[in-house]
Amino acid sequence: MASFKYALRDTFRLICRHWGLSILTLITAASVLYILGFTALFALNVRHMVSQIEGGLVVQVYMKKGEKPDDVYGKVKTNPTVTSIRAISPEEALDRLRAKLGNQARAVTLMGENPLPWSLEIQVQRAEHITPLVRDLVVFPSVEEVIYSGKLVERLSTISRASAGVSATILVLAVIISALVIFNTIRIAIYSRKEEIEVMLLIGATKTYISLPFVFQGMFLGAGGALLAVAGLWATYASAVNAVRSTLAFLDIIVNQQILLQFFLLLFATGATMGWMCSWLAVSRFTSRALRPR
Amino acid sequence: MDIRLAGVTKVFEPDIVALEDIYLSIDKGEFVYLVGTTGSGKTTLLRLISREYLPTRGQITVGDVNLRKIGRGRLPFYRRDVGVVFQDYKLLPNLTVFENVAFVLEAMGIPPRVVQNRANEVIDQVGLWRRRFLKPPQLSGGEQQRVAIARAMANSPSIFLADEPTGNLDLRTSEEIMRLLLSINAAGTTVLVATHDQYLVDAYRQRLVELHNGRLKRDERRGRYFIDGEL
Repeated sequence: MASFKYALRDTFRLICRHWGLSILTLITAASVLYILGFTALFALNVRHMVSQIEGGLVVQVYMKKGEKPDDVYGKVKTNPTVTSIRAISPEEALDRLRAKLGNQARAVTLMGENPLPWSLEIQVQRAEHITPLVRDLVVFPSVEEVIYSGKLVERLSTISRASAGVSATILVLAVIISALVIFNTIRIAIYSRKEEIEVMLLIGATKTYISLPFVFQGMFLGAGGALLAVAGLWATYASAVNAVRSTLAFLDIIVNQQILLQFFLLLFATGATMGWMCSWLAVSRFTSRALRPR
Repeated sequence: MDIRLAGVTKVFEPDIVALEDIYLSIDKGEFVYLVGTTGSGKTTLLRLISREYLPTRGQITVGDVNLRKIGRGRLPFYRRDVGVVFQDYKLLPNLTVFENVAFVLEAMGIPPRVVQNRANEVIDQVGLWRRRFLKPPQLSGGEQQRVAIARAMANSPSIFLADEPTGNLDLRTSEEIMRLLLSINAAGTTVLVATHDQYLVDAYRQRLVELHNGRLKRDERRGRYFIDGEL
């Protein structure tokens, strides 16, 4: 317990002794984590919108005249990417047509016998699942035609993949940059106390005792940077939501408080963990080298 | 704790032999002077005992601890039992006398109240009570030396190693330091002092071990600095 108190005291001494560097690290960590959070939020929203559109995509399968869709229905039902499947009888299809035509519904009677075939309405989990499904459907001899939004599906898949790729790249870059900044700040702090650490090792201080203030310093800087980033993101996102609602109301962006809270907590934890890991790595390297007998 | 060196050789890169085939046995509670010219291997011997260095050949045993086999995890606990006064003091210039002594005890996880009492006690013993809030640059050489001694004795070690503790000090201050070392020894601590100080060695005669070019030249119970007739 006493060691913990000494470590906390030394942590604040370290932060105060290099206050300029500490503030610089805090701002850099905050900026990088803000970019990281912003990119991730953007990617999450793109993913959310794509999945909303994907959820509404329907593949319509029209059977040949007189053919029933039982075999196709049975096959599609076993496909794990399919979320719903519904068989539409010619009668139901006619009713729908009548409803659509409204005042001109009587024109349907001119057709005489119901010319509409059996059909299936299929929904899948993601846009990219549609093309393979269609490929499976067209081989059925009883299937006359398969209708789906081919171009839209392809574009959605491309957007989804590209946004995921860009986000992942920015994410990796941001993590590397903030890790390097924190790592170097701790290294400078270590070198400023080099003499002190060497004496401590010679008089019998353990590696843990020596490392703790530096590890705490790294954690505080990482977590502090993350906290600033979260505050900035919160403000930016709130105004972005308001702007989207007033100008592009058809865009379905994430407003679920629980999801956003989880996201911000994750960002905070990322900052703290990154600070802890970088400082631990820096101090561990130094003490291991210093402890090695010559 | 007793100290045993068996066939200890230390060679530094590329090919500098600092110590060669040293056999030495120091019993618990002994006071030993290590003498010899500059470069004779005195500091190397002390650093081998504090386990800053590892011998190239041979074994060093302190108490029941073989220093070659001691792991990194146990090394801090061994070092807590060995008080070292470094040739260049190694005091931290931005800390006060009190803080320089206290931080040794803090590093061992001792509660603040105990640290305060013990640090004040040893500072008083070395006669620096009135200077405890000054920083090393504000002290004289002799006072800095006494801070280094206070720091080394703060955790009551079983072995006390002092490298040139009276170097560059006037005679009166050297005698004060010497009396301090003798009082530490009187409390049962094994004391090894590497020195060039002929006057002190002859005035306070104790066991004397002389090194010459890394080899053990002389080991006498109550030796004088120079052998009769030698200058």
